[in-house]
Amino acid sequence: MAQKKSVVSEAQQIQLAVELINLGARLQVLEAETSLSRERLLRLYKEVKGMSPPKGMLPFSTDWFLTWQPNIHASLFTEIVGFLHEHAGVEGIECTMKAYRLYLEHVALNGLEPVLTFTRAWTLQRYFDSKMLRTVPCTRCNGHFVAHTLELYDNYVCGLCAPPSRAGKTRKAAQAGAESLAA
Amino acid sequence: MKSEQLLEEIREANLNYLLLAQTLIREDRAAAVYRLGIGEDVAGVLESLSTSQLMRIAASNTLLCRFRFDDKLILDLLVGQGKDKSMGAAHAAILMARRPVEAMV
Repeated sequence: MAQKKSVVSEAQQIQLAVELINLGARLQVLEAETSLSRERLLRLYKEVKGMSPPKGMLPFSTDWFLTWQPNIHASLFTEIVGFLHEHAGVEGIECTMKAYRLYLEHVALNGLEPVLTFTRAWTLQRYFDSKMLRTVPCTRCNGHFVAHTLELYDNYVCGLCAPPSRAGKTRKAAQAGAESLAA
Repeated sequence: MKSEQLLEEIREANLNYLLLAQTLIREDRAAAVYRLGIGEDVAGVLESLSTSQLMRIAASNTLLCRFRFDDKLILDLLVGQGKDKSMGAAHAAILMARRPVEAMV
């Protein structure tokens, strides 16, 4: 059945697109999640952001989500998505957006950098949907963390229970530590 | 005298909690379910309560909101026992997401 063109549904699509753009979605995300044409999305993007959307492909490696800091952020986001899915009954892009807002809130409250951008979060959801990634429980804390689907994880210990030796010890962190000591 | 004052404070905390819960639910139901740690059904009941019902429920000698951190590890993480405070909060949030919610039986 061909979808009838309705002004109301188009307005909703534009509304959704604007919200996505404000969250930092790239053009590919907009094309996948709204029914608006590429030209309209381009114009919308320029109007909202005041600049052209970044060109090029989206990041496409699942490995990024398994490195130490991204893994923690990705796991946090995934667990929020899981919670909303299970207990609040929201799904699809709405779920991703709500979970991402809650994630941003958490990050801002704890003075962390939002390592996971919206487009990354959206890609992460796609990897889960296509079963390239899954979560595995940590044997020490029972938290669930993002992991490859096809890898074996016997006695898995998460990056928070057993952080790698240099994890989080960046130059920036050292500076912040020195400043708080001086103050 | 002392216990009367305590009861009054409990009532106030209950009322504040219920009003905040209602505001959260009306603003964004899904986010409220996450923030409050309650089930959809409980959220529905809370949302539908009238002001006079709220007052009646709040006037109790027990608190209405439960302590959610009954897991020793989560509590330690939140208090900041670990080395890195901000990562501790993220760890706690990851663990909290799998905790059961308050639901109707």
